[in-house]
Amino acid sequence: MNQWLDERLHISRLNDKFLRKAFPVHHSFFLGEITLFSLIILILTGILLALSYEPSNSLIVNSFDPGTTDKPNLIPAAYHSALKINAMPFGDMLRRIHHWTANIMVAAAVIHMMRIYFTGAFKKPREINWWIGMLLLIFAALTAVTGYVLPYDNYAYNTLKVIYGIASSIPWVGEWVAQAAFAGKFPGDGVIPRVYGYHIMLLPMILVALTAAHMLIMIKQKHTQPQYAKRIAYKKIVGVPLMTQQTPIMLLLAVAFAAIIVLFSAFIPVHPVEFFGPPSTTPINNIKPDWYLLWVFGALAIIPSFEVNIFGGLIGSEFVGAIVLPTIILLAMFAVPMLDRSRDNMYYAENPTNHPVRLAAGVAFMALLVVWSVAGYKPELISSGILTTGNANTVLWIATFLVPALCYFGTLGIVRGIRALRESDARDRAAFSHADD
Amino acid sequence: MTRYKRQDPEITRRKFINVAMGTTAAVGGVSLLSTLGAANPIFRLTRDKMPPLKGDILVHAEASKEGQPIRISDLSDQLVRAWPMGKGENGENVIRKGDPNNILALYRFPQGQIVAPTNLEATIGGETVAYSDVCTHAGCSVADSDQGDGMKCPCHSGQYDPKRGCVVIGGPPPRPLAQLPIKLEGDNLVVTGFFLAMPYPYTSEAEWESFKKEVEDQLA
Repeated sequence: MNQWLDERLHISRLNDKFLRKAFPVHHSFFLGEITLFSLIILILTGILLALSYEPSNSLIVNSFDPGTTDKPNLIPAAYHSALKINAMPFGDMLRRIHHWTANIMVAAAVIHMMRIYFTGAFKKPREINWWIGMLLLIFAALTAVTGYVLPYDNYAYNTLKVIYGIASSIPWVGEWVAQAAFAGKFPGDGVIPRVYGYHIMLLPMILVALTAAHMLIMIKQKHTQPQYAKRIAYKKIVGVPLMTQQTPIMLLLAVAFAAIIVLFSAFIPVHPVEFFGPPSTTPINNIKPDWYLLWVFGALAIIPSFEVNIFGGLIGSEFVGAIVLPTIILLAMFAVPMLDRSRDNMYYAENPTNHPVRLAAGVAFMALLVVWSVAGYKPELISSGILTTGNANTVLWIATFLVPALCYFGTLGIVRGIRALRESDARDRAAFSHADD
Repeated sequence: MTRYKRQDPEITRRKFINVAMGTTAAVGGVSLLSTLGAANPIFRLTRDKMPPLKGDILVHAEASKEGQPIRISDLSDQLVRAWPMGKGENGENVIRKGDPNNILALYRFPQGQIVAPTNLEATIGGETVAYSDVCTHAGCSVADSDQGDGMKCPCHSGQYDPKRGCVVIGGPPPRPLAQLPIKLEGDNLVVTGFFLAMPYPYTSEAEWESFKKEVEDQLA
């Protein structure tokens, strides 16, 4: 059959060009693959969910609890269909798998990015792929947030209201932007169809296209090589070919990964729509965004209130906290490849301890996001008595500066220790190599 | 030498194609923008989306007793949420919940506890007071604080003091919650006018004033 296909499609050329791609063997190189598997699981479960979901926020009678003829129990159709999905065989499981995979995909992408950053793999010639990766991270978060809204329970409703508020906090154009993005003044009659369109068409298409570009560029530029490749064969590509050595590893990993997700989903419920109930005026008590947006949430909670009027546009704490600040953080991440001035192409992954400033800056940056994420738990910190209403903001602001600074200098110190040990090791080896002769 | 050969072409083929493609892209871009404009549907100010108006009766917002008029005896120092209920075009009752920002917070404190900057004229006997229940920060519904000190927004922990005109006592909100003037008429709590200050989502007095005018014009 191979010959039959080859005569018609020249698949041997495909084989030569793509399927012989060498994959370096190192466990940290599987993080990107896990992200890819997550995307595939998300698309598959998402298709199944879309088959039963009703994208509409019109009110319909709740078939599980219809109420009386005089006073029918009306709930949004989207929420009703979420209840119906939960009542389907394995329906709740499907929702849980989709939700868990979304969380894990962002986690895998973040750890993948940490590997790239700490080993210097973003350097020339791979800057473009770092930027595409950044876009993937941003669009993955946007897809997740829009997906959050779709069950349209009270939690989703409150989340959507905050997102709408953030969009409308942009000076001058905010109100128009928010209304255009979410189909009119909140909650517009068409808000769920609008968000549904984003979540299942627009954003996944962007994600898939960016993923394709990410991988094609990776194939073209080749992986950075682990350090051992330098010793085995200097300036040669070392690794196992995609077909047929890497493929079974990938398949095994994908199956094991899917199994872990299913295990998680079976035992740890997510987003119980029945518990939250349909949209109402009663707020959700401990409402929080997903973990990867918690830092924005925390920053919003500790930024004091202020308002500045410039040429009729209003710049408030909400705009600064939810739009300006994340933009600065993301721009800093976009700028990472530009901070490196080397003109040579880089082949080998670097030992992070040989670049202490980069390592320490990365650790401090993550510490900053962790501090803000903890600030997202401000109400809980206050009600548990760790902080008080009076000192919470002060303490969290001091931590915002102090913790990253401590992490920065702490990392530099540890790296210095490691290098001292390594150098003394090298000296010992040099001194005793004579004795061995 | 054929007569088709041009010695001095006025425009090269490349230039022509570039100009043509540029024009097409520009026209296409503008038409795409006009389609984007259509993404923002027209807002129709119906009765259920109007703000609390003079003469509206306050009714329970809680799902189990939604629409039942609120009695003074239902109120305490624990928050009670209410919708304003007014009249529709044909005189029928309309609960104004088309705009979720119309949700109200009601409190009744012992005499003398409510102090300035609350407008005492707009309360019932200096005991019962009504505020907008929508946080001026990001528009979440504000709830009672679990610490027992006033009101707290669950979204970004904004805090308000309902005994002092709902001034901000913590967190990011830029403005106090707007107070709504009410009076007692028979057993009903009745609204006597617009919010005394601009409520969420308004950020400038001018916008709020023009919205009030739009409502009045439509009712006139």
